Amino acid sequence: MNENLEFVPPHPGDPGVDPASDATSHKDAILRVEDVSKIYSSGDTEVHAVSKATMAVDQGEFVALLGPSGSGKTTLISMIGGLLSPTTGTINLAGTDVAGLNKRDLTKFRAERVGFVFQAANLVPFLTARENLLYVSTLQKRISRKEAHARADQLLEELGLAPRAKNVPEQLSGGERQRVAIGRALMNDPDLILVDEPTAALDTKLGRQVVELLAREIKQRGKTGIMVTHDLRMVQYTDRVFEILDGELTHVEQPSALAH
Amino acid sequence: MNLALTEMRRSKLRFGLLAGAVSLLVFLVLLLTTLSNALVNSITGALKGVDANVLVYSANARDNLQASRLDPAVVGQVAEVPGVTAAGPVSVLTTSAALKDGTEDLQVFGFEPGQPGAPTALSEGRLPENASEVAMDGGGYAIGDTLELTAADKQATVVGLLRGAQFNASPTAYLTEDLYGQIVKATNPNVPFVPVNAVAVSVDGDSEAVVSAITAEVPGTKAYDKDDAVSLIPGVASISQTFGILVGLTFIIGIVVIGFFFLILTVQKMKTFTLLRAVGAGTGRLSAVVALQIAVVVLLASAIAVLLTLLAVRGLNSGIPVELSPVLVIGTVAAVLAFSLLAGLLSIRRISKIDPFTAAGAR
Repeated sequence: MNENLEFVPPHPGDPGVDPASDATSHKDAILRVEDVSKIYSSGDTEVHAVSKATMAVDQGEFVALLGPSGSGKTTLISMIGGLLSPTTGTINLAGTDVAGLNKRDLTKFRAERVGFVFQAANLVPFLTARENLLYVSTLQKRISRKEAHARADQLLEELGLAPRAKNVPEQLSGGERQRVAIGRALMNDPDLILVDEPTAALDTKLGRQVVELLAREIKQRGKTGIMVTHDLRMVQYTDRVFEILDGELTHVEQPSALAH
Repeated sequence: MNLALTEMRRSKLRFGLLAGAVSLLVFLVLLLTTLSNALVNSITGALKGVDANVLVYSANARDNLQASRLDPAVVGQVAEVPGVTAAGPVSVLTTSAALKDGTEDLQVFGFEPGQPGAPTALSEGRLPENASEVAMDGGGYAIGDTLELTAADKQATVVGLLRGAQFNASPTAYLTEDLYGQIVKATNPNVPFVPVNAVAVSVDGDSEAVVSAITAEVPGTKAYDKDDAVSLIPGVASISQTFGILVGLTFIIGIVVIGFFFLILTVQKMKTFTLLRAVGAGTGRLSAVVALQIAVVVLLASAIAVLLTLLAVRGLNSGIPVELSPVLVIGTVAAVLAFSLLAGLLSIRRISKIDPFTAAGAR
């Protein structure tokens, strides 16, 4: 629905800081991405989806990864979230070398350490809102069944979904579905929340509400979040903005510098 | 919270229809096998139930009990062969009788009380001990009834009832060699002696060796292990084979239906499975969802099928005793379950190939 909003390179005359030098200044970053590349071979040609990305995000920060479609932003957060292995480079989340995990450990890493909110098809269609939250709690052993139930109810309450807890996704609106997905992402108390174009299927007003809510939940809980977006209007809810173009991280800026 | 069962609860129609279809196929397998067993047993039951390890026919009988004729003196000769602990005569004939169920064809099985050759499948009462007593399988008799042997103009009191001991799928009377001889003489007054059809032998130790020894040492005879003799009864092999093909085909169709259905279901749920892989569900966990659903469908379908089969067996009036064996039920259900889970590997293979990355950016 936001497809008509084309990506406009912001402030070409006033570029922000280079992400690599920015990373060195964040000594205590919880997430450190260093020289990460993802290269796909297609016949004789190599496609660099992401090249030598370096970035650092502090604990409690909510940052945006801003770029046009095809710029490699989804590939980059997929590697950070353990959905995809980088071709080269290292990713370190709170002491865990993500790029070095095997397939089984990556699955466990995703279940326990990362919360995902995807663009669409975010929920299990035959589970109610509450069950969608509860199911992910069964993927890890850190909290008991009783705690999980209490936590799911609390999250649904905070997200304004308590009256919809027993509805299956089909009976929910687009905005409600994304709110359930946010609850699902927060359910396992992860270190990192990764959000991929959460407003892609929503109109502007709903999109803003969802991102605002997301920012609030992440901040309140002292979580770290990365949101991928191509929508400049959504970056105002974030702390910093990483710009990505053709697979390369170009600048780090303050959201205010990009305000329309 | 169980993903597999929750989905089934929310899609009752879909899984109910599948369980219904599978139950009909399991029902067919059970019914065909039961009928086949009943039919084979109605032909072989008598011989199978004979108290013996080894049976001796005449050498020129072409493996057929009814074509076999032996001099009664052969019984004594067989008893002398080393390894034989006891030997007794077995005699069969078809005669007419006024049976209580209105039919007339009666199979008569003669044996010597206390010797090999006596039937073992007694379900009620006792075996006959003299020429005025008889034990029956079929024909609608109860203990204390009188059997009218019209052709021989004799009568005998029913003192015992047998089950699964019919010969040639007809009501069968078990009686003493004494009464058997009287029937033969009454219907054929000129016979020089009453022949026996076979010698039933009980063996101490290796029956194979005794079989060879009897065939070699008693002229004009051929000995068989009892199980071999049973399978050589004319018609048994072809009945077993025909039903075996039907049962096998039905079984295979059932497994294919289950395998394909779950594969379709898995393909339809690919988006969901991909999402779940992305948020940290392992391949094993998702495979267990499919396996559990298959198990529930098969067990539910089997329960319906057993019920249908019981109703069908009760409702069947086929003239031969038909019974649903628990061993058959357990064996069939276990086999359907095992092979359905194998067929579920088609789905599990799909799940194992999921790339969780495709959950990101999938629209």
